[in-house]
Amino acid sequence: MSNALRLFQKRLPSLVLFPLLAGLAAACNEAHPRDAYQNPAADASEISAWFYNTYLVLDSVVLFIVLAALVVALIKFRKKPGDDTLPEQSFGDPRLEIAWTIVPTLVVLGITVPTLGGLFELAKRPDVNQKIVDIDVTGKQWWWELDYKKEGINTANEMHVEVGTQVMLHLTSADVIHAWWVPRLSGKRDATPGRNYPLNFRPKEVGSFDGQCAELCGASHALMGIRIIVHPKDGPDSYDNWVKRVKEAAAKPTTPEQEAGQKVFMNKGCVACHTIVGVSELAAGARSRTSGPNLTHVGSRDYIAAHTLKNSPENIATWVKNPQAVKPGALMSNLGLTDQEAKDVAAFLTSLK
Amino acid sequence: MASILDFAAAQKPIYHQERPSKTGLLDWLTTVDHKKIGILYGGAGLFWLMVGGLEALLFRIQLAKPDQHIFIGDTYNGLVTMHATTMVFLAVMPMIAGFSNYFVPLMIGARDVAFPRMNAFSWWTFFAGSLTINASLLFCGAFPAAGWTGYAPLTTSEFSGMPIDFWWAGLTLLAVSSMVAGVNFVVTILNLRAPGMTLMRVPVLAWMMLVIQFLLAFSFPPITVGLILLAFDRTFGTVFYSTNMGGDPHLWQHLFWLFGHPEVYVLILPSMGIVSEILPVFTRRPLFGHHAVIFSGVFIGFVGFGVWGHHMFTAGMGPIADAAFASTTAIVAIPTGVKIFNWLGTLWNSKMTFPTAMLFAISFIPMFTIGGLSGMMHASPPLDLQQHDTYFVVAHFHYVLVGGALQGLFAGFYFYIPKISGKMLDETLGKIHFWVFLVGFNVTFFPMHLLGNHGMPRRIYTYPADAGWNTENLIATGGVFLMTAATLVFVYNLLTSLKNGKDAGSDPWDANTLEWMTTSPPPVHNFDFTPIVLSERPLWDHKYTPGFEIPVPEKAEEIHMPSPSWKPMWVSASAGVIIVGLLTFNGVLGIPGWPLCIVGAVGVILSVYAWVSEPV
Repeated sequence: MSNALRLFQKRLPSLVLFPLLAGLAAACNEAHPRDAYQNPAADASEISAWFYNTYLVLDSVVLFIVLAALVVALIKFRKKPGDDTLPEQSFGDPRLEIAWTIVPTLVVLGITVPTLGGLFELAKRPDVNQKIVDIDVTGKQWWWELDYKKEGINTANEMHVEVGTQVMLHLTSADVIHAWWVPRLSGKRDATPGRNYPLNFRPKEVGSFDGQCAELCGASHALMGIRIIVHPKDGPDSYDNWVKRVKEAAAKPTTPEQEAGQKVFMNKGCVACHTIVGVSELAAGARSRTSGPNLTHVGSRDYIAAHTLKNSPENIATWVKNPQAVKPGALMSNLGLTDQEAKDVAAFLTSLK
Repeated sequence: MASILDFAAAQKPIYHQERPSKTGLLDWLTTVDHKKIGILYGGAGLFWLMVGGLEALLFRIQLAKPDQHIFIGDTYNGLVTMHATTMVFLAVMPMIAGFSNYFVPLMIGARDVAFPRMNAFSWWTFFAGSLTINASLLFCGAFPAAGWTGYAPLTTSEFSGMPIDFWWAGLTLLAVSSMVAGVNFVVTILNLRAPGMTLMRVPVLAWMMLVIQFLLAFSFPPITVGLILLAFDRTFGTVFYSTNMGGDPHLWQHLFWLFGHPEVYVLILPSMGIVSEILPVFTRRPLFGHHAVIFSGVFIGFVGFGVWGHHMFTAGMGPIADAAFASTTAIVAIPTGVKIFNWLGTLWNSKMTFPTAMLFAISFIPMFTIGGLSGMMHASPPLDLQQHDTYFVVAHFHYVLVGGALQGLFAGFYFYIPKISGKMLDETLGKIHFWVFLVGFNVTFFPMHLLGNHGMPRRIYTYPADAGWNTENLIATGGVFLMTAATLVFVYNLLTSLKNGKDAGSDPWDANTLEWMTTSPPPVHNFDFTPIVLSERPLWDHKYTPGFEIPVPEKAEEIHMPSPSWKPMWVSASAGVIIVGLLTFNGVLGIPGWPLCIVGAVGVILSVYAWVSEPV
């Protein structure tokens, strides 16, 4: 083999190491809006964060010991040129074997006991005598149906809760298995058809928190986002005000464009799957696993199509004209709307604040 | 040094066969020789490793930047599904089967496996299964896209199409192949050891192979049951996994992971065995704590059956079950630690040399340790609820399976190919392969830890530009190109060495175990005389310890070798016809399924009858 090849071989580690370090430095500088449970905003994710930090320290210590021993061995115990004698032929040392069995056993015990504590803490049922925001969550291909039974609210994808108030989700699915995950608020929990699983957390921070489905659920699994909006306890933007607002029927169309849009909505087939309270409501029996989200206040959402597109008239028009081009396999029918019809519907839906 | 090989020249041992072996292609089709079957397995494994790597390359290109539209939706999901299915079942497992086939009989001083024709049957069934899974691209123009875990009800006919039929059909054949191989090798290792080779004198690699053959024999039945239930759901309209009729999707998860977790140890234990064989040779010391390494491997095998629930912490099994599985999983850390410390103990006070095989074996230790330590995190449910199904887990299992299992297998290739081909691999190319692969591997998978921490779930085909995942994804994709380049260097090295490699001789590494006392490549009958084993390092002690020379017999023994046979392939082919019949039972592809099932069943009966009545 040529000398150039040997030189390449020698320089290789540094050739690739520097770009790697530079890249990692760049990665550290990037903003991480979903920076997850290490930056907890609720009690449930605080528990996960505590375990992450604990394990990170523990793992680092173990890794350091292994790497240090390895590096020392690699430096010290090389065969010297010309030295053909055999090293000491040791078959092992029972004292060492016992030591490195017992020490890891103690470490494992030491970390497993608090683990079980954290696990039961997370599974604890919340006190039902306090105020609870209780929401039924149904995963569907590829969006989330949210039912506030007590308040009589049916909405989708964007969940509104109150800071400092216990939230209790009941997760199920209408089709395949999904998983609900908003990292900064809680760990994930599967939404399984035929089952109903609780997920509890108490948000501690006001703001919007993003997440998405975390169990492969079909073609558009990547486009099944979640946003949780944590409202303050009082003020104009309070949770109670939000409840009051969304319980009202939909706003009436005010412009000719919006009126045309409502006609398109009523006549072109949208009503077969979507409810707009005050315009057209699906009978309970007509709701199926393929029926779409409640659009009564769709204009007030931040995103459409489950966090896929920002909520704007242009994006709504793009979406209703050809849903499958935005979300592969989307179950919403392509109704063959003209550009004008799509624009009208977008104007109408945007007005539903 | 007594010349064991000189015996052949003096005594000219001959072996007897009922029917002589065929030549050329027919030889490869009818062979029952464990060495040829091992080469077939290893070659197939390398081929599928390339295919699985290509699939990974394609979907990493899609993920290099946010909002790309190259492979979207089920195309992307299909690539992900087939990458995992291919790497686990068609690349790493057959490479392990290749090592197991070629070297277990040699290491224990046997002439072949216990049931040579069953061995050929395993190979042909594997072959049929590997083609069946991939045939969905040919017949449906799409890959199965429900993930390699195939969680029901996504795999039921309500939510997925024809490709899933190819998936269960192919996997069922692979499962049959593995179960048969498991029984075959357990019997081989327990019964065909050379005289004097007590169980504690069995080389560590053969021991780990023994453990994984038990795992195969006991862990594949659950997934086979799961696949048959799925086949019934899809073909005959049963409702095992459909909730609206009272079925339960969790049934699949339990059956799958009851297989899936032992399977993880099937993939890693052989590489641990390979490392345990290579370190002593290039440190010129015995394996430190030889017995502790064996017992910890056995312990891992046992505990492996009690930890499957840690894949289901988010599934809602309840805190009691979660607590039980969290505890059993944490226990796995103990025997794993024992192994790592014993490898370090082997390096200590040694006189190391660093051929490529040794480099891969050494880098196995820290890479596997990183994967093991992140695995400790997942054993803790409060933490796993955040890490489950994120890129953190993807990073974890690639550190274990690529940094661990695959690096161990690469070490094995550099170490053992001279025995198989009789030619040495090129060391300069080998070292380039090693360094580029090691760096590429870390560049690819280390950033994935960060992606998981920043909230990126796995198996998503796209991500928004403002999620903060751009840099790490781009770096990871760059790393895949390095790994690809490194692997191509290896393949080039392997192919050119067959022609231009230096002659290896019988014992190029000055090694410890029986396989190095015969010629490279070994003769059909492996050893000219049955070696008598006096210690756990028979060849080393033969060379270096006076009084431990392997005794050479006075005259040649009579050697009977099994005859070539078509029957194993007939049975595999007939079983394949039944599976294809089930696959097309509902008349899809225009093929009437039930007549095929009958033809296949009759074929199985007739060819088994021919098999048992055939003289060997």
